[in-house]
Amino acid sequence: MINLRDKGAEVWEKSGRPARVAIVLASIAAVASLPLMGGTILNTPIASYESVLVNPVAMFVLMAIGLNIVIGKSGLLDLGYVAFFAIGAYTMALLGTRTGLNTWEILPIGIAMAMFAGLILGVPALKLRGDYLAIITLGFGEIVRIIALNLETLGRSEGILNIPTPPPIFGVEYAFDSHRIYFWTLLVLILLAIWMVRRLSARRAGRAWESIRQDEDVAELLGVPTFRYKIWAFVLGASVGGAAGVFYASKTLYIAPDNFTLQISILILACVVFGGMGNIWGVILGAVVLAYLPDRIRFLSEARLLVFGLVLVIMMNLRPDGLLPRKKREKALVVKEKS
Amino acid sequence: MIGNFLDQFWSLTFGGLSLGFIYILIALGYTLVYGVLRMINFANSEIFMVGTFATVIVIRDVFHFTQSSEYATGLRLWFILATALVISMLVSGLLSVVVEVVAYRRLRRKNSGILAPLISAIGVSMVLAETVRIMTDSRPVAAPRAMDKTFIGQFFDAGVRLDNTIIVIAALLLFIALTTFINKTRMGKAIRAVSMNANAARLMGINIDGVISATFLIGGLMTGAAGFFYVLKYENTASNIGFELGIAAFTAAILGGIGNIKGAFFGGLALGLLETYASFFLGTQWKAVTVFVVLVLVLYTRPNGIFGESMQQSRV
Amino acid sequence: MTEPLLRLENVTMQFGGVTALNNVTFDVKPQEILGLIGPNGAGKTTVFNVITGVYQVSSGVISFQGGSLAGKKRYKITKSGIARTFQNIRLWGDMTSLENVMTATDTHKKSGLLSGLFGMPISRREEKRDKARAQELLDFIGIGEYSDRLAKNLPYGVQRRLEIARALGTEPKLLLLDEPAAGFNPAEKVELADTIRRIRDAGYTVLLIEHDMSLVMKVSDRVVVLDFGQKIADDVPQKIQEDPRVIEAYLGVPENAS
Repeated sequence: MINLRDKGAEVWEKSGRPARVAIVLASIAAVASLPLMGGTILNTPIASYESVLVNPVAMFVLMAIGLNIVIGKSGLLDLGYVAFFAIGAYTMALLGTRTGLNTWEILPIGIAMAMFAGLILGVPALKLRGDYLAIITLGFGEIVRIIALNLETLGRSEGILNIPTPPPIFGVEYAFDSHRIYFWTLLVLILLAIWMVRRLSARRAGRAWESIRQDEDVAELLGVPTFRYKIWAFVLGASVGGAAGVFYASKTLYIAPDNFTLQISILILACVVFGGMGNIWGVILGAVVLAYLPDRIRFLSEARLLVFGLVLVIMMNLRPDGLLPRKKREKALVVKEKS
Repeated sequence: MIGNFLDQFWSLTFGGLSLGFIYILIALGYTLVYGVLRMINFANSEIFMVGTFATVIVIRDVFHFTQSSEYATGLRLWFILATALVISMLVSGLLSVVVEVVAYRRLRRKNSGILAPLISAIGVSMVLAETVRIMTDSRPVAAPRAMDKTFIGQFFDAGVRLDNTIIVIAALLLFIALTTFINKTRMGKAIRAVSMNANAARLMGINIDGVISATFLIGGLMTGAAGFFYVLKYENTASNIGFELGIAAFTAAILGGIGNIKGAFFGGLALGLLETYASFFLGTQWKAVTVFVVLVLVLYTRPNGIFGESMQQSRV
Repeated sequence: MTEPLLRLENVTMQFGGVTALNNVTFDVKPQEILGLIGPNGAGKTTVFNVITGVYQVSSGVISFQGGSLAGKKRYKITKSGIARTFQNIRLWGDMTSLENVMTATDTHKKSGLLSGLFGMPISRREEKRDKARAQELLDFIGIGEYSDRLAKNLPYGVQRRLEIARALGTEPKLLLLDEPAAGFNPAEKVELADTIRRIRDAGYTVLLIEHDMSLVMKVSDRVVVLDFGQKIADDVPQKIQEDPRVIEAYLGVPENAS
């Protein structure tokens, strides 16, 4: 278990380009075929297996990838991540029911709204110390829910009904109960998010975030515009949350403030922490395990949040780096150390 | 509306004062711990929540009050109230000590930054809130009324209710007791020493772990007392009340300057009044928003709190 | 007289009631190695902190290449050409040596987050250029073979040198070294002296805080002495060693105490 990540990295680094392409395609194909395995041991006792794959599993994975940019990469504790999810969802609900725009047209608008909210929240909040940031974001998440609960336009506690499903693409219909197609669409969004994070991590932004996470004062003194990169982390994290929200609304067709409680933020946080902050594969694994298990194991589903709380405490105390830690493998050393 | 407000000014003020004192006691929980750990104790809100349940259990299950019971009077009433108060304080105080051991101690020894203990404390809050939620079937729990909430006097046309009076006086006494403890006793001085400079305190031979446990205990005692007063005032509780009260009390602590005992006092009063007045104009559903706006404004403009610099000396 | 690169003019720094720097004035000339010495608590590191913007001076002016640094953001001061190392090593431990230096070289990149995301040619070009540059710097400092190692796993001496390489990554005109020889054995100190000279010869200006007198006297072109936040001497090394005020300040303190 400990070396799983390093083993993976080793295989990857040894492979040439064609081998890598093959690995990627095979992995995608394997994941994409998951909805077809309903009859197997993977089946879930209460909710339908395919719907579990969409929500919570794929949803959690997508959001965990987004939150990981903020917490894992940059070390900023955002406890109000649900706000961006809610903003995406309400954008979809409002525009979907009141204008002729369809899901694909609303998606970029929802993302933009979430990013804008990230900016509005980030500019004052990111000047503050870590634990103040946590409490401000916590409050923000709750405020967004309270606003939804009290504004007539947002449907108050009744929420918004009759949100349209996405229009067909390539002739494939998004019927309400055809979970597979939703899963595959989410898979595309997840792959995009992975691509974005990996791309950024390897370049300037990744280094800037990493340096901020490890020692922000030193980063600033060595020329890293720390505030700007913290804002970027926040806004990009928000964009993923917003995208998840848009798609969520378009899948469930009905949203209400109760879908956007503080617990969602904590659940996603647990996914990130459980899998391994900062390591995208760890985070994905964490989200899959924590989203799937409560649906697979019956007694867990009632005490889901309790289990998540325990996960946070236990992981932080015993294995703060998560299942798949971020620790990088050092390349085989050519250097002989003086001793 | 303004006319209405003036008519109700004093009754709002009394309500706001008693709410303010509840905030003060919870804020002390945050502020004391912040003093020694330089960290927000995220679990304090749930320690408060558990305190409210302790009170309900004492009144309902120990003294067998029901919704239709006759009110207790005289000595019996004082005995019941005192018992409920003391039990709630002890339950919260001990829970607080346990929380420190479970959520913080190990991480503190490992010297692991700020993120890990925060997340660990959030996990503990979650476990507490969820355990209570499952035990109460997610339903709010009503506390039977043990006392007649009669008006004991008039002040500018406004009735002064007995429960509000008890809250203000008892909380004030607790606050004075706490200040005396911090200033006069050996342990109080040790807590102050650790707050000022943990390393120096360690070198002077102060048992840091002991002091931190004591601080959590005292913070928990205060927070538990707040739980009792809350039930006395509002006569109900639920597994999810910790969050709202917690964030408000935390705002109060920040408002007065966190880590500062007097700051918690004035911050709590100011927020209790402000929130009550604001609810009158905007409606209670925006209460949490008011609190949050105050929090953001204070953090952004005066991160040391309104009483900031001048009170630095009185830091715990 | 050449125009000074950095100039401190009547700089005073107070913390509450404590005066850490009292009316300090001195110049750093281009391409020199200026030693900054003084007993413990004399205010040497405070000088670095006011120059790099960690503290804002209570009064006085710091100018760099003719322009005042007052109120400038820290990363902009760095970008304008001042970089430092830290007395207590503060590397980014979870990054490799190369990444540590590359984070510093990012200071002067034109491409930012978006061009990196979309793989614009400029980002790729700069990435390639800076990677080569960072490796070059590691080689220059003599730790090139450690480029793929995580900073936290490096031997102590290499970490100290990596601090210098990282500072050089920001392409400074002025390099501030805060006790770079702390914990070094005599052989390493000789090597370090050589490195500092090579840095100067490569066109950088160096301001050096160091406790080891013989090292300072050997490499510095000029030495400024601080005592209790005040400048008590400013001269070439030979004169400093004979200066009665300096001897007095150090009286009772063995010369190579560190």
